[in-house]
Amino acid sequence: MRHEIICAGIGGRGVLLASTILIEAAIGSGLKAVASDEYGMSQRGGSVVSLVKVGDFASPFIGRENGGILLAFEESEFYKALLFLKKGGLALVNTRAAELPPSIAGLLEKREITCRLIDADGIARQTGMFQSANMALLGFFAAFGIAPFTKEVLEETIRSRVPEKFLAKNLEVFGKGFDAAMKMGNAGDRRTDMV
Amino acid sequence: MHSREEVVIGNQAIARGLVEAGLEIAAAYPGTPSSEILPGVVYFRDMEGSKIHTEWSTNELCAFEVAFGAAAYGGARAACFMKQVGLNVAFPALMRSREKSIEGGLVIVSCDDPGPQSSQTEQDTRLIATLFGIPVFDPSSPAEAADVAYHALNWSFENKVPVIIRSTHRVSHARESVPLYGPGTRRVAFREGHVAGRGRKLGIVASGMSCSLVYDVMEELGASEEVSLYKVLKVYPVDEALTGFVDSMERVLVVEETDQVIEALIGDAKKVMGRRDGTVPSAGEITYDIVRDILSRVLAGAGTDRRPFVPDGGIEEALSHVAVVPRPPKLCPGCPHRASFFAMQYLWPDTIYPGDIGCYTLGISQGAVDTCLDMGAGVTLAEGFYDAFNQDGKLVPILASIGDSTFLHACMAPLYDAVRNRKRFILVIMDNSTTAMTGMQPTPQSGVTVDGTRTRSVAIEDIVRGLGVNYVRVVDPYDVPAMIGTINEAFGRVREEALPAVIIARRECLLLVKGAAKPSAYPADIERDCIGCKSCLKTFDCPAMSFDEVSKKILIDDSLCTNCGICYYACPVQPQGKALKAEKKAGRPGAAAPGNP
Repeated sequence: MRHEIICAGIGGRGVLLASTILIEAAIGSGLKAVASDEYGMSQRGGSVVSLVKVGDFASPFIGRENGGILLAFEESEFYKALLFLKKGGLALVNTRAAELPPSIAGLLEKREITCRLIDADGIARQTGMFQSANMALLGFFAAFGIAPFTKEVLEETIRSRVPEKFLAKNLEVFGKGFDAAMKMGNAGDRRTDMV
Repeated sequence: MHSREEVVIGNQAIARGLVEAGLEIAAAYPGTPSSEILPGVVYFRDMEGSKIHTEWSTNELCAFEVAFGAAAYGGARAACFMKQVGLNVAFPALMRSREKSIEGGLVIVSCDDPGPQSSQTEQDTRLIATLFGIPVFDPSSPAEAADVAYHALNWSFENKVPVIIRSTHRVSHARESVPLYGPGTRRVAFREGHVAGRGRKLGIVASGMSCSLVYDVMEELGASEEVSLYKVLKVYPVDEALTGFVDSMERVLVVEETDQVIEALIGDAKKVMGRRDGTVPSAGEITYDIVRDILSRVLAGAGTDRRPFVPDGGIEEALSHVAVVPRPPKLCPGCPHRASFFAMQYLWPDTIYPGDIGCYTLGISQGAVDTCLDMGAGVTLAEGFYDAFNQDGKLVPILASIGDSTFLHACMAPLYDAVRNRKRFILVIMDNSTTAMTGMQPTPQSGVTVDGTRTRSVAIEDIVRGLGVNYVRVVDPYDVPAMIGTINEAFGRVREEALPAVIIARRECLLLVKGAAKPSAYPADIERDCIGCKSCLKTFDCPAMSFDEVSKKILIDDSLCTNCGICYYACPVQPQGKALKAEKKAGRPGAAAPGNP
């Protein structure tokens, strides 16, 4: 099993926590995995990209058009990271928008990329946890059931990673993200061996 | 056998290896990408119940000498950690230490920053080590870094010479599962030498993260069999097997960061491709795409490109139709430094602003930082500027800025130098009570050590007065009129008494206090008030603000804004900004009475 996952977003919004949960979920499932935290100088509000590779890789880096999964925690950072997503890849984007601009939609279709939009910020805000939009996106991702990142495995990793004080709320947001994908339907129609 | 594993970053892995090897003394000065090593030592020390003294030193020379003293004369197993430019600060001691026989063991971890991402310059620690004959290792992954750290400390202890471990930010900040062994029981099996491929036409020699990248790219390009890969782990002294490998290949490509070290050690200019002949870019980080590009070209040249990578230009085309927010590095929303820079820039927009190394180097985007040379140069460059103008009979305001940790690291001697030589400039010490840029390490002033125990704290204002500065004021940078008034007053004093003046702009880093800067700054009514002049974007440059091209008004990102309310001073419509504008128009900027005299 090999996955190349790109987590892209902005500082202060839990991108690094999300990627740490992904790598620990993979390792906890007995897989080899390596991750890289890339962050610029500014701590809040700057671009943050974190990469996770599952499988027999030596380096944690992802080449242009090599990534299989793109988790975008912010719409503009989604565009920047698109160069790294391969043909036929999966992109999940946190955005309030109902659809993407025509040029991007056309590109995604041409490159056979499955793309789903989710208002993860909205879900997090409803729960009174604005900072935990990352959990909503992870829950949304869990609904695709791409091994090893099933709902059960990700939940268990979140339990081991998130401090007790915030755990219940985080799991609630995670669950709502999962439900949002199920409601949309066709989340589970991706074969797990595709990526 | 190891009993358990833990998912850690490279820096924590280095700490783990050292703790397992019986480390007794560890000292460091924080600097990206090395900062997590010392806290890692504390973490694993406590996990194992080992007895290890740990300390944040005031600079890298202090760290080095503490470790060297403990190792050379005290017989201890010691280590010190720093970033690559920090090694320069420790250089005098490093030069002498290499010729000394040490009684204990000494490991120096110096983390390089290819790019550079968070340094003033790229610099290759391996080059310095090799030039001066100091053994140096270049691990390629976190797990290997743990083994290298364990081996290096034992090797130093047995051979009585210091050993350098060179990491890069891509190793230091990569994350993977690392086996944990009990103290003294780690089983190290290095993977170095001819590690992959059988072909004789092309051999690749690589080290560190570059080697890991080459390995992955060769797999992608389907070249793993026909291209031979030689992995270098110990860069100096170089293994003789490398010569044999090079001799057996028709052509050799060297991929390494950041300088020519292995390439120079091999030396065969006819056979070797690398930085010297331009095959590898001469500067900047070596990324996956760069390695893929180099290998594709070299394989094509050898007529063996099997699965060439062809980029889809359609992606750039599609992206050209959407607005992408650039997000360059900026000070955080609500950062007290931004308020200080705003006040400095307001008074004398075109004056001279010597800057220094830290978060506050980013004041460059507000037009309030002109230079970034090295730690401490904010003060000494101000002296040089003063002399140059003074010789021409001119006195211009010179406004230098440095941080609190930097002041203690490198500015005490320069400031005394300025007093003794009667230099006229204003030094703003931006005191946010922490070493923010590198991850919130406590400064000496905080009175807290690396493991959280209390120690004696030292107030910067006492030091400054002790150095002979008469004009010392402490101002809250959020009080913008007070800041402006104080800077103005300070310039008057500088003129009068021919001494530097010091303003300590004191407010805690927002990451330290966590949460809103102010609970209830009144919300801006952008719909009603904003005239779309963008002057706040220019002079305030806050990441929470952007310009909405549709409404032609400022857009505030609620999730980033901390309600600090300082941007009102940058707005010509709000009363705060209006007052500043009026003062300036009347030719009396900074006329309002300064705060706490």
